[in-house]
Amino acid sequence: MIELTNVSKTYPNGARALVDVNLKIGKGEFVFLVGPSGAGKSTLIKLFYRDETPTRGQVQINGKNLVRMKEREVPYLRRSIGVVFQDFKLLPNKTVFENVAFALEVIGVSKNEVKTRTHATLELVGLANKENAFPHELSGGEQQRVCVARAVINNPALLVADEPTGNLDPETAWEIMDLLFSINKRGTTVIMGTHARAIVDKMQKRVIAIENGRVARDEEIGGYGYDT
Amino acid sequence: MTLNSIRYILRETAHSMKRNPWLSIASVLTVTVSLVILGFSVLFLANASNMAKSFESQLEVATFLKSNTTPEQVKVIQSQIQGMPGVASVTVVTKAQALIDFGKTMGGTQSSLVTDLGGTNPFPDKLTVKASDPQKVKALADELSVLPGVEKVRYGQGYVDKLLTFTRWLRWIGLTVVGAFAIASIVLISINVKMNVFSRRREIQIMKLVGASNSFVRWPFLIEGLTLGFIGGALASGIVGTGYNWLSMYIQTTLTFLPVVQNTDLFRQIAAGLVLAGMAMGAIGSGLSLQKFLRS
Repeated sequence: MIELTNVSKTYPNGARALVDVNLKIGKGEFVFLVGPSGAGKSTLIKLFYRDETPTRGQVQINGKNLVRMKEREVPYLRRSIGVVFQDFKLLPNKTVFENVAFALEVIGVSKNEVKTRTHATLELVGLANKENAFPHELSGGEQQRVCVARAVINNPALLVADEPTGNLDPETAWEIMDLLFSINKRGTTVIMGTHARAIVDKMQKRVIAIENGRVARDEEIGGYGYDT
Repeated sequence: MTLNSIRYILRETAHSMKRNPWLSIASVLTVTVSLVILGFSVLFLANASNMAKSFESQLEVATFLKSNTTPEQVKVIQSQIQGMPGVASVTVVTKAQALIDFGKTMGGTQSSLVTDLGGTNPFPDKLTVKASDPQKVKALADELSVLPGVEKVRYGQGYVDKLLTFTRWLRWIGLTVVGAFAIASIVLISINVKMNVFSRRREIQIMKLVGASNSFVRWPFLIEGLTLGFIGGALASGIVGTGYNWLSMYIQTTLTFLPVVQNTDLFRQIAAGLVLAGMAMGAIGSGLSLQKFLRS
């Protein structure tokens, strides 16, 4: 499903974020990306939803080449990829319902369909009773659920999360992990960058470690592997 | 673009203007202020060039003929001058006519005047010549003065040169004022739109992340720019119209010698121009400011 071939990324200021990375991730996999801060995890994650393009090498998702892709095709790629952020990126003056419905409205879905699908998705993430709340009225875990709901409402083939539990306490973090896991079970590929040792060790999933911009380790059933 | 999208875009535009009322008001006021200045500058320019034209149109060469010229010769000289290049019109004031005119101002009758003057008419025949180009009055006067039968010419020597320099300056100042304020307006508006886009960069970022097309992101801003520009332009043309009316009435009653432009067609054009300029500025400004955001 995802294939990176000889991918290198050098930023205009000369920083080498990724060096000759080769990766293959299959459909329906759950993958942890681990590694020290500044090792290139976030850059790698940004390649998946084409927030960045590599300076060298090819990125393919579902047979589409993200490097040769034209600018006007990018929106259509993004509709098949959900993104979850550490800081949630919710719109503060929209309600929970509006924040999630936003993802459908901006791609021109009909009003009735927006209503039904938003209700269903909020049900899925367990926020059906908070539809009319504003983000500042919610706990961190609840805000992250809204962000996940927005990311999955289009039934994306791929869900990308950059430290989704980074701002949450351990208990809430596990709730979010359960949610991501259930989404993965429905067939969505999940790639998650994280520093959460306990979660990675417990989940027993594929672990890819990035160090100095290179793939340092890639294990089918791995652990976090760093001392913290 | 589907009907759903259009509905969404219109709703978003209305929301965004309500959500940032102060920014919207600031944008409208900037447009209004710049366009008011622009409108008055245009009117100033129209008046300056009108004034210049009216001063210039008063320029004429008075050509006096020798006293022994017969009425037939006057006609010959008249058609001769009419045929010269650069001559717009020639009017004849015969010596008999000059005497009648003079008599009218003196309040006497023609016969008594002639008697009083010793039985002779002292007035020469006069041809009033207008040049088609006011700048060439001096050259024309020189040409006329050497024609056979011409006694002397008078065209306000010295005075003409000063007047022409003055009107030329009047035009240049008007043009400079309009140009400077047009540029200032565009800069101010683009700053305003940039602030507007900046205050909503998070929203734009998320829209792009969830797969909104560039045109979809752009439309609400374009419509917002158009709307704010329209309101600003309409306000400006109202203020300019009322202000100019009041000002021209004041000038006409106090400085009666100044010719004030009162051309309804021109006013309509300026009003329409201000509204269109406001909309264009809003749309271009928002389009340009967004371009940078959308490229990333």
